[in-house]
Amino acid sequence: MGTGLSRRTVLTMGAALLMTAACGTGSGGNGKIKVWHGYTDAEAAAFGKLAERWNAAHPEQQVELVFNGGNDNVLQKTLASFASGNPPEVAYQYGSSITGLTGRPQTQDLTDQVRGDAEFRWDDLFAAGREAATVDGKVYGIPALVDNLSLVYNEKLFDEAGLAHPTAEWTWDDFRSAARKLTGDGRFGWAYVNDGTEDTVWRFLALLWQAGGDLLSADGKKAALASDAGRQAMELLRDMAVTDKSVYLDAGDQQYLNLFNSGRIGMLWTGPWDLGAINEDVSYGVQILPGKVTHATIAGPDTFVVFGDNGRENALPFLKWLLSPEIHLEFAMETGHLPIRQSEVELPGYAEYEAKYPGAKVFVENLEKNVTKARPNIPQYPKISQVLGTAVQSVLLGQAEPRAALDQAAAEIDQALAAS
Amino acid sequence: MTATPADRRKLEDHLAGWGFAAPAVVLIGVFGLVPVVWSFVLSLQHTDLTSPGTFAGGDNYAKLVADPLFWDAAWRTLVYVVLFVPATLALALPIAVMLNQKIRGVVLYRLAVSVPLVTSTVATGIMFSWLANPQFGLVNAALDAVGLPKQGFFTDPGQALVSVVAMTVWGWLGFAVIIYLAALQNVPKDLIEASSLDGCGRARSFWHVELPLVAPATGFLLVWLTINGLQLFDAVYVTTKGGPLRATTVLVYHLYNEAFVSFDGGYAAAIGCAVFLVIGAFTLAQLRLNRRTSHYEVR
Amino acid sequence: MRRPSALHLILFPLSVVMVTPLVWMLLVSISTQEESRRFPPGLPSGVEWENYAAAIRDAPLGSWLANSFVVSVVCVVGNLVLCSLAGYAFARISFIGSKVAFVLMLATLMVPFQIVMLPLLIMTRELGLVDTLGALIAPNLATAFGVFLMRQFFTTLPRELEEAARIDGAGRLRTLFQVLLPLMRPTLATLAVLTFLQTWNDFLWPLIAVQSPEVMTVQLGLQSFQGAHTTNWPKLMAGTVLSQLPVLLVFFFAQRFFVRSVAAAGIK
Repeated sequence: MGTGLSRRTVLTMGAALLMTAACGTGSGGNGKIKVWHGYTDAEAAAFGKLAERWNAAHPEQQVELVFNGGNDNVLQKTLASFASGNPPEVAYQYGSSITGLTGRPQTQDLTDQVRGDAEFRWDDLFAAGREAATVDGKVYGIPALVDNLSLVYNEKLFDEAGLAHPTAEWTWDDFRSAARKLTGDGRFGWAYVNDGTEDTVWRFLALLWQAGGDLLSADGKKAALASDAGRQAMELLRDMAVTDKSVYLDAGDQQYLNLFNSGRIGMLWTGPWDLGAINEDVSYGVQILPGKVTHATIAGPDTFVVFGDNGRENALPFLKWLLSPEIHLEFAMETGHLPIRQSEVELPGYAEYEAKYPGAKVFVENLEKNVTKARPNIPQYPKISQVLGTAVQSVLLGQAEPRAALDQAAAEIDQALAAS
Repeated sequence: MTATPADRRKLEDHLAGWGFAAPAVVLIGVFGLVPVVWSFVLSLQHTDLTSPGTFAGGDNYAKLVADPLFWDAAWRTLVYVVLFVPATLALALPIAVMLNQKIRGVVLYRLAVSVPLVTSTVATGIMFSWLANPQFGLVNAALDAVGLPKQGFFTDPGQALVSVVAMTVWGWLGFAVIIYLAALQNVPKDLIEASSLDGCGRARSFWHVELPLVAPATGFLLVWLTINGLQLFDAVYVTTKGGPLRATTVLVYHLYNEAFVSFDGGYAAAIGCAVFLVIGAFTLAQLRLNRRTSHYEVR
Repeated sequence: MRRPSALHLILFPLSVVMVTPLVWMLLVSISTQEESRRFPPGLPSGVEWENYAAAIRDAPLGSWLANSFVVSVVCVVGNLVLCSLAGYAFARISFIGSKVAFVLMLATLMVPFQIVMLPLLIMTRELGLVDTLGALIAPNLATAFGVFLMRQFFTTLPRELEEAARIDGAGRLRTLFQVLLPLMRPTLATLAVLTFLQTWNDFLWPLIAVQSPEVMTVQLGLQSFQGAHTTNWPKLMAGTVLSQLPVLLVFFFAQRFFVRSVAAAGIK
């Protein structure tokens, strides 16, 4: 998930939207491929270079990159483009958005092209990316980015406070007590994105999984989060944010990065996309997340979703090329993105990547070991995310008790699941 | 058929009249009048706005009555209007009276007060978000400097709506001042001079002479600001997106969410019709006042 | 008798408060990122032009401004021409149905935009206008307010002017454009200013009617720019300054004129 820019996911699509079919048309097949993306700065430059190279070699399949104005609103914009009958061939989407698009006639089922093409080596892609692009066993997108949450900490602040650096064996208690000791004098131990969007939700999901809980029951028909694990996760948030006041609550405008850079936040739970934004004079370490029952983390996979016949025929070759191991490693070298497939890690050039991005190692290992669960890829997820976001937010702000917030969220999630 | 010259003249008038008026009338009818009826029709449908809807009868209105989020939003809108309108008026009148004096530099002061008029809401939102940023903002720096605790402003559910009020007062103050200035400049000078000859102090002359004379302007502003306050959207969208915890989800924001996030177009249209009823009443009042207050000249 | 010094004590701080957001925006836009992150904040040590270069590089400001300009200018011209014609007809020609048409038109002034925007979206889509500048122009090409304003001013002109022209053999159209409109420059200018301000600063309609980045107006573009650069405040402020510059410049040079227009019409 996320590029160098705002990581907030706007995905409050109602179930109603998903039950209705749109009356859109595919775009004409002139070979021109419009790709909506949210890259800026170094990412945009690297992406642009690759597109130019592709265009020089493929006059019949010209790619036009269009900045989408920021990934946060792209799902909404994409749906609106269906309404206007003028969708792009490809749009970069947050992983959690894909079920908002799969019911639409414009969205292309790519299963046969992707699975049936040996050159594509679909199974070589990391599982988190594949799963995010797959709904009900069908492939609707191409992984664009795979990452996950790790603990990023300011070494200097730990040293000044006389604290040992976080280890891979850290427990929630270790984490909470370190955050408390780092707090004071305008400084915060930890930061939590508290805007009620998916950005608020996914960190909570990691906590829930760490405590051994899950969001939904095994059959996916009921909410399961109002469990002991859920309560423990919520209580940790309350204890830290309300009791200890050791958490900077970010309003969704990503000021936590500015605060981390100016030495006023000790620890972040974040992904590789933020590493590039950390100032060179801030020495930071990366560790896996602290644990309760497990050290589970959550993957934030983003996908390129393909629209219209023209998209399926002419955009797919471009995306396939983009995801080939050598080309993707080249992109990763310039942007700090994680590798996206197993064979990429085995390329000779990968050592150079590791040297350039020492922090990336933990994230790559995390992908293999600690990404054990995924968000449910169901049409109701946007609604569930909205409900849970409000619950977490109200606990962090001290406006609701953990148990009450969980019970209410569970009831609303049950309702959403039953309604469809 | 024998047409007299008078008849022909009349026919020519009809043709010329419609010829001149038709382009504007058709455009306004198509884009201003038809959608009103259509909106009511939409409010009786289940529709996501992208595909044909199905008849829903009064479902959407039943949902509206039972929707706690709607009543929350209506209440918040009311709170907003009750804070925003009086605050703007109470600040604007004294400022206008002061700016109506012949003092050095008054042109610059007028410029300073009216410059928010041309500043777009998006730009205003970006500026205020930064000024009121809890960690880096100038406002908290000022509070800190005088020993007061830092505040959350847009990020605190208890303060977000008031912060939006403050921001929109800044944006509208210039407008209200200009209207008051225009009204004050229509106050005959000899009236004020007469009252001062009578031994009235400046303050008394304000209460007894100027205040009653700007009453029509106050009435106009009251209605105008209320109508605009009820339609609050842009300022919320660019600062808080309705949050935190829905603290700034006012009616139109709720409507927008239902229409373009939940894609429940029929319900959104029903909310629109409800807002229309309230605003319609205020607008009627404004049209009545308009007769008295529409033409000011600023010298 | 006047005591200006006392008033300065109130007016000066007040003016400072009013311009602080704008001045602060300017100052942050020339700060380095480090400087923008200080607390308490301070003045920038130098001028960081790079922020402006970065803003221009990252944001298609040119095309946003061009889009806004096209929309606003077309709407201004449309309103000047169409509202003059209709205003003249309603003021001077007695034609069948004119009363009904005028009242119905006035009634649309009562309708808040929120109620028409949903059907308007469907209509513009059916007309094939959605996601084009046409969607932003068509509903604003003629406004009931403009017709009303023009009619009011036509009724204040003496009828003798037209009659003289008619005796000289001029048709209605020629009379309107060559005799009457030149007398109404201030009113036309008022209408132009107000239409321009309204369309330039419009946000909600472009937000729902436009999705493609290349069709965005400057307000919409600025909002998406804000979403994409939340942590780089100097760059964001530089973009904001650039987006506001055209209107601010016009305002400073024609302030009295702006003020008069706003006062005359009672509309922002």
